Amino acid sequence: MNWFSDNVNQIALLGAAVIILATVFVVGKYIKQMKTDRSTGVLADDTWDGIGEYKNPLPMGWAITFLLTMIWAMWYLTLGYPVNSYSQIGEWNEEVQAYNKAFEEKHKNIKGEELTNMGEGVFLVQCAPCHGIDAEGINGKAQGFVDQRMTKEQVLDVINRGSAALGDNPAGNLGYPMMVMPPMMATGADAEAIAEYVSKGMKGDAPVSFAACSSCHGVDGKGLGGQSPNIAEFDEILIMKTLEHGKVGSIGDMPKFNDGRLSDIQKRAVSTYILSLSK
Amino acid sequence: MFHWLEKNPFFFAVGVFLVIAFAGIISILPDFAKSSQPLVGTKPYTVLELTGRHVYIKDSCNACHSQLIRPFKNETDRYGKYSLSGEYAYDRPFLWGSKRTGPDLMRIGNYRTTDWHANHMWEPTAIVPGSIMPRYRHHFTNIANFETAYAEAVTVKKVFNVPYDKPNMPKLGTFEEAQKEALIEAKKIAAAMKKDTDNNDIKTALDNGQIPEIVALIAYLNSLK
Ligand code: HEC
Ligand code: HEC
Ligand code: HEC
Repeated sequence: MNWFSDNVNQIALLGAAVIILATVFVVGKYIKQMKTDRSTGVLADDTWDGIGEYKNPLPMGWAITFLLTMIWAMWYLTLGYPVNSYSQIGEWNEEVQAYNKAFEEKHKNIKGEELTNMGEGVFLVQCAPCHGIDAEGINGKAQGFVDQRMTKEQVLDVINRGSAALGDNPAGNLGYPMMVMPPMMATGADAEAIAEYVSKGMKGDAPVSFAACSSCHGVDGKGLGGQSPNIAEFDEILIMKTLEHGKVGSIGDMPKFNDGRLSDIQKRAVSTYILSLSK
Repeated sequence: MFHWLEKNPFFFAVGVFLVIAFAGIISILPDFAKSSQPLVGTKPYTVLELTGRHVYIKDSCNACHSQLIRPFKNETDRYGKYSLSGEYAYDRPFLWGSKRTGPDLMRIGNYRTTDWHANHMWEPTAIVPGSIMPRYRHHFTNIANFETAYAEAVTVKKVFNVPYDKPNMPKLGTFEEAQKEALIEAKKIAAAMKKDTDNNDIKTALDNGQIPEIVALIAYLNSLK
């Protein structure tokens, strides 16, 4: 009798018993009524296929309900449905608006570890399929974020082809105020030396030929405060620009994330997370 | 007349059915016809994409993947904008699917790339650790059936007036023209497939005028936006 000690089963059995008792009682009452009741009243003159009808007055409750139903039907037909009609898309809009508002409210001042954790979550869902769950770029299939800003090959490719190595927009691909990067600002051994220097994280003395780059990227390579990409290290501006515009580089294609799938807070979170990796 | 119906319950039932069916038709069909019009910007598939669509159907990708984003926040966050019926106007048949063993693919073209697909179809677990999606290595050697796709495009153009060869719409032309066009597209895709996979076979096939299934399939996946 183990099953009987379960109180859901007990309630179900009790319910079943109540239903059976109620049914017996109600059915019994009506059967008795059918046996003993004699209807009285004045018959109407007409019969329908031999079936007659009493001239009873309308029961008041019934008449009121009927009237109310008619009023409700009028309201529903003219106002109730057309004005308040349900729309799935409308519900989606409301849901998203309410959610975004609550999200912004809740995370208005998010920072530190909390922000990094949120960023890790976003990264694992949206970025890890290409950049790898360890953010190392899955053996060179996408940009790695841990060890190095760019490889020597990547830098050389940009030096040789300029903006064309970053996408096919002739007016600049990443959307920096300086817009485009001209090709062949350095060649041969100079280019090699610069690429070596940049790929090693711009530590130590810069090769003399780096002067060709510093006019736009700054002596420290950090992009003159957002005028051009930071080539010394990852920064938030670069990540935001990449998410907004995408990139077609020597490694491959980085798709845009500009369709609202990531909110501003989430973008900031993911970039904080990425920056925390190379620290 | 109604006396007769009352005495013949079967025909009465037929009559009831006709009346209700008629009401249904006039209230459902006009709306349906309206919402199944192609959205502005929806274009028919190019022949190469259609070839890839046949590969998708043949290998039953739709058994594990849906192509229908419902208007729920958790879905639009992951997959992008919810689907509208007009977006399926040129899908014959639509591939909504009914089971998501894997993710929805309605807008996969927005957030995955040629190279990614090539690596993933070759060895899913190398890209997504623990993936239970099967490998599709035979796509890299099998030659896709371009002729059938061309025949389908011509048929839907003639029978359903699908706007091929109209301004700003995909070109169809003669079979030779279509094949030339598709090969140009296919070579671009092959060039963007870089890593891990054996590309030489694919390039040789393309040089011989044949289109491997993987190239057509990727063209199709990239067109899903
Ligand atoms: C005229 C200004 C200018 C000069 C000079 C210049 N750059 Fe750039 N660089 C840019 C701009 C602008 C971009 C972004 C281009 C785009 O968005 O299409 C860029 C992009 C880059 C990138 C790509 C960054 C990324 O995130 O992928 C690298 C690497 C780079 N430059 C290296 C160099 C090197 C090395 C030199 C010197 C040989 C140099 N640049 C000289 C303006 C310049
Ligand atoms: C479909 C694959 C894919 C996805 C998804 C993806 N990326 Fe990328 N990403 C790439 C590839 C490939 C590159 C390398 C491009 C190149 O330099 O050739 C890249 C490069 C980058 C860069 C370096 C840009 C530069 O100028 O140096 C950043 C930053 C970046 N991705 C951030 C992200 C973030 C953040 C996400 C998630 C929200 C993400 N990516 C999702 C493929 C992807
Ligand atoms: C047995 C079920 C199954 C079949 C059949 C299947 N897939 Fe998948 N697919 C998955 C699962 C599970 C994932 C998620 C894990 C991953 O990304 O590998 C996935 C992921 C994907 C993704 C990445 C989606 C994303 O948003 O990250 C693509 C693209 C894809 N599959 C394409 C295909 C194509 C094309 C076919 C047919 C040739 C196919 N799949 C057949 C189960 C399947």
